[in-house]
Amino acid sequence: MSNTPPKMTASHVTVHYGTKRAIDDVSIDIDQDEVVAFIGPSGCGKSTFLRTLNRMNDTVASARVEGDIRLDGHDIYAPDMDVVQLRARVGMVFQKPNPFPKSIYENVAYGPRIHGLAQSKSDMDGIVERSLTRAGLWAEVKDRLSDSGTALSGGQQQRLCIARAIAVDPEVILMDEPCSALDPIATAKIEELIHELRGRYAIAIVTHNMQQAARVSQRTAFFHLGTLVEFGRTSDIFTNPRQERTKDYITGRYG
Amino acid sequence: MPATALLFILVGLSLIGWLTARARAARFKVAGQRFSSLPGHFGWYVALWTIVPPLIFLAIWSTVAPALVTDAVLSTPAAAQLPPPGFDRAAILSEARELGAGRAYGAFHGLARLLAPAYAAAQDRYDWIATAAALLLAFAGGAFAWTRSKPGFAARTRVERIVMGALLAASLIAILTTIGIVLSLVWEAGRFFQVVPVHEFLFGTHWSPQVIDARDPGASLGAVPLFWGTFFIGAVIAMIVAIPFGLMSAIYLTQYAAPRTRRWMKPILEVLAGVPTVVYGYFAALTVAPAVRDLAVAMGISWASSESALAAGLVMGVMIIPFVSSMADDSLAAVPSSMRDGSLAMGATSSETIRKVMLPAALPGVVGGVLLAISRAVGETMIVVMAASGVATLTLNPFASTTTVTRQIVDLLTGEAEFDSPKTLAAFALGLTLFVVTLLLNIVALTVVKKYREAYE
Amino acid sequence: MSKSLVAQLPTGPAEPAQRVPTDWTTGAMQGRIRRRYAAERRFRLMGLAAVTLSAGFLAFLLATMLWQGIGGFTETRVTVPVDLGAAKLAVTPAQLDGRGADLALAGAGLEGIVDTSASRAYGKDGDNLLSGGAWLTVREAIKADPSLLTRRATFDLPVASPIDVAYKGKGAPEAEAMVARLTPRGVLSRSLNTGFLDSADSTDPTRVGIWGAFKGSLLTMLVTLLLAFPIGVLSALYLEEYAPRNRWTDIIEVSINNLAAVPSIIFGLLGLAVFLGTFGLPRSAPIVGGLTLALMTMPVIVIAGRNAIKAVPPSIRDAALGVGASPIQVVFHHVLPLALPGILTGTIIGMARALGETAPLLLIGMRAFIAAPPRGLTDPATVLPVQIFLWSDQVDRGFVEKTSAAIIALLVFLLAMNGLAIYLRNRFETRW
Repeated sequence: MSNTPPKMTASHVTVHYGTKRAIDDVSIDIDQDEVVAFIGPSGCGKSTFLRTLNRMNDTVASARVEGDIRLDGHDIYAPDMDVVQLRARVGMVFQKPNPFPKSIYENVAYGPRIHGLAQSKSDMDGIVERSLTRAGLWAEVKDRLSDSGTALSGGQQQRLCIARAIAVDPEVILMDEPCSALDPIATAKIEELIHELRGRYAIAIVTHNMQQAARVSQRTAFFHLGTLVEFGRTSDIFTNPRQERTKDYITGRYG
Repeated sequence: MPATALLFILVGLSLIGWLTARARAARFKVAGQRFSSLPGHFGWYVALWTIVPPLIFLAIWSTVAPALVTDAVLSTPAAAQLPPPGFDRAAILSEARELGAGRAYGAFHGLARLLAPAYAAAQDRYDWIATAAALLLAFAGGAFAWTRSKPGFAARTRVERIVMGALLAASLIAILTTIGIVLSLVWEAGRFFQVVPVHEFLFGTHWSPQVIDARDPGASLGAVPLFWGTFFIGAVIAMIVAIPFGLMSAIYLTQYAAPRTRRWMKPILEVLAGVPTVVYGYFAALTVAPAVRDLAVAMGISWASSESALAAGLVMGVMIIPFVSSMADDSLAAVPSSMRDGSLAMGATSSETIRKVMLPAALPGVVGGVLLAISRAVGETMIVVMAASGVATLTLNPFASTTTVTRQIVDLLTGEAEFDSPKTLAAFALGLTLFVVTLLLNIVALTVVKKYREAYE
Repeated sequence: MSKSLVAQLPTGPAEPAQRVPTDWTTGAMQGRIRRRYAAERRFRLMGLAAVTLSAGFLAFLLATMLWQGIGGFTETRVTVPVDLGAAKLAVTPAQLDGRGADLALAGAGLEGIVDTSASRAYGKDGDNLLSGGAWLTVREAIKADPSLLTRRATFDLPVASPIDVAYKGKGAPEAEAMVARLTPRGVLSRSLNTGFLDSADSTDPTRVGIWGAFKGSLLTMLVTLLLAFPIGVLSALYLEEYAPRNRWTDIIEVSINNLAAVPSIIFGLLGLAVFLGTFGLPRSAPIVGGLTLALMTMPVIVIAGRNAIKAVPPSIRDAALGVGASPIQVVFHHVLPLALPGILTGTIIGMARALGETAPLLLIGMRAFIAAPPRGLTDPATVLPVQIFLWSDQVDRGFVEKTSAAIIALLVFLLAMNGLAIYLRNRFETRW
């Protein structure tokens, strides 16, 4: 861990859906150059928590978020925070690959275009190529950029979605079980990619696969029933958990 | 009333059959063994055998009886005075029939009064034959079923087979209706095309059925102005209103409105769709058309028609709004929410998400919906009957009077012309054209929509 | 983890060595965001405007109809003193008992006496003041109270249509003048027009009523319901539960889907050619209208029925089959009862559509002038929407408010039916 202040800090976050409490008093920070994994049984609130970090919960009418979440020290739920800017700075990759029904090129160009990040056509071409390259997809698609994004295989679609997220040059990337819909080979590629992206972006990844968490992350947070049970170095969590519940989960007692 | 009485007798017999057979079957049980059929099944078995054969007989009979009666009347001496087959003969016969049945009290043709007793007698005779035959069939059927009802007889399977037959028969009615529509349209239109060549009807640009030259009826029955008017009102003006309003309403209700607003607004739009077309027509003629005319006059178009294409098209567009809205609503709902999330997570605003991701994704569904809406607008009748003009003009000016296919069908068929004239037959040719066009639109639209749904399943 | 899995890792040509974050604080970026939000607001406003205008149009339409039509439920009456004692009608009290009374009073010249009384009271064109049916009011009063024959009495009698129109709003100049002359004398009054609800069509707008057309509608709807409902439900059951997947089933499905979208006027042509032409059924009769509308309504019921049946979860069928029920028993004991609310909702919506339908009925001759309500399924009849159409064609200004009033009556019925359907849908909407 570095001495620089954390990229994102969440303190005492509580989320309600209607009257149901989905997240209870969770505090986590994410550093500039690390990958943080959120693990826990399904329904434990790890995805919900992830979605509070770029305010995607705003799209759920009944969701109510309390607590304090800061990006570079600015409260992202403050009235003066612009959610459009926030989401450009905190990108997201979803569980199921969701390319837009447009060409591969347009999928990647979508973000830069709406945010006005490219000054010219060649500028845009550069962004698209750079993003696809970083996502490890360039070699596979460079000859068919005008094909539909939905025509790609599942793993390629997910890397396209990562390229799409990278294209707006975010500072943080949130990944919501990015490999759960993929086969093992595609999963390995994505993990490799996460590895490569580390250092360039702060990354938070939700996964139900503990091996994956162990492989890709530096720190791990274990959620259970909407509470944060344990948060620490990945190596510690997996080899020497402090909490009984964490140990039970990791050894496969439940989950 | 004899028909009703006969029906009551048959139902009564059937009921007796049901009760007695059921009571008898209940005694089968005493034997102490299990049967596949309950007493009720035996009841139904006998009841159905009692009532179904006579009903089938009566249904067939009712289609042949009028011909038999007419034959009997024509063989009487008085019938010799009838004029040769033609309109007069048919008129006299139908008057005589009404008189004979006691539905009319005076007759225009003297001969009809002479023939009436013959009609009454023949009708009476055949009614008795029918009644006797029906009752006989009822008893025979009931007796047959009764003798077969023994312990161990699989009454349930028999009854279920009949029920299954009824289900199949019911669903065949749809095919029958389609065949009926196609045959009647093709048949009558075929007779029309014997008089007027197809190409003159389809490509002729002059339409004035009020003055038909008997030597060359095709010259005044060219339907191009009607096709244009229909297209202009239904597919252009109405859609200019319906598409933006319907689409934006759907977008607002699905993407922006609070759930409570949506719960209120959707039924209101449904009410808009439930208002009868005659009400829209009256509104168009009474309120919109004069307003449109005043507007045109104010704009300096002094000759503007009070039966303009614009008035009819505007109101028709409003009528179609809920339809377009609900189709667009469905299409937008079918776009996976992950697309929406994906775009929002990139920092797109809602409107950017809708315009650049949702709408392109929903486009095939929306286009299919618009095609269905056009098909509906093209077939819409009352608004144009009440607010559009009867004069066929080939014009691009929305303030000019324009007529449509449906309007002309109504005009042609509610006049006083006899049934076989080119004028009435032309209505069927127009109907056939309308049917084919709407059918094609529907097939294309449904295919597009279906493909679209499958893409996201 | 093998490196070979990802063949080409960050080796992009224009790869900057150090990441430069996008600077969102520049004026250009902030201006851009402001513009995007403005576009967002405009778009949202357009949506709101579309919804509001659509709803506004409905409100405007309803308000127009209400404003123009509410007067149709009232009639204007004028107070006329009639001295029946002096007129010495040749009617004996015995004649006033029973059925002969109407004939006796008419034969004794009651109509003339009433007209004369009006002229005496309001000048030489006083008899133009009264509706053609005004003397009938006097006749009914005499029948109720024979002692009127021997004395002088005042009656509130319905006025003629032009006066009625002028009194309610803007009429012809002469009628306006008459009203202006009478109003200060306080002899004009308004009362509920009960005749509008219980009589049939007429050439005199003050004497028309919707009962004839309404009864025609009821009879037609009865035929439609009796045919379309059983056939529609049975078809839906067959297609959803038993039909084998083959070409025939496909043809049936395509037929039904297309019939649901065929323009209604085509059904009118079918009715004209088949029911009137081939089968020789009587013109203008509710039975033919009902048959025609049944063919039109049936596909709607089938489609709604199939959706309702489809919504019944397969587990219920499995459960019933598991205890040894036959396929027919499964459907009639379990599936149908559960699907019934949905089917009924669809049926009501289909019937509401049929009730408002006009065009096909015009073609089968239900546009005749029908002065007496139909007594049976084969009597000449008209229906409410066609009656509206016929009145809307009348030149007489008195018909304008009658048309709107009939529309109000029709809309009340349709709203009630649609409301019932929406209620049923919400009440029985089950989440399995």
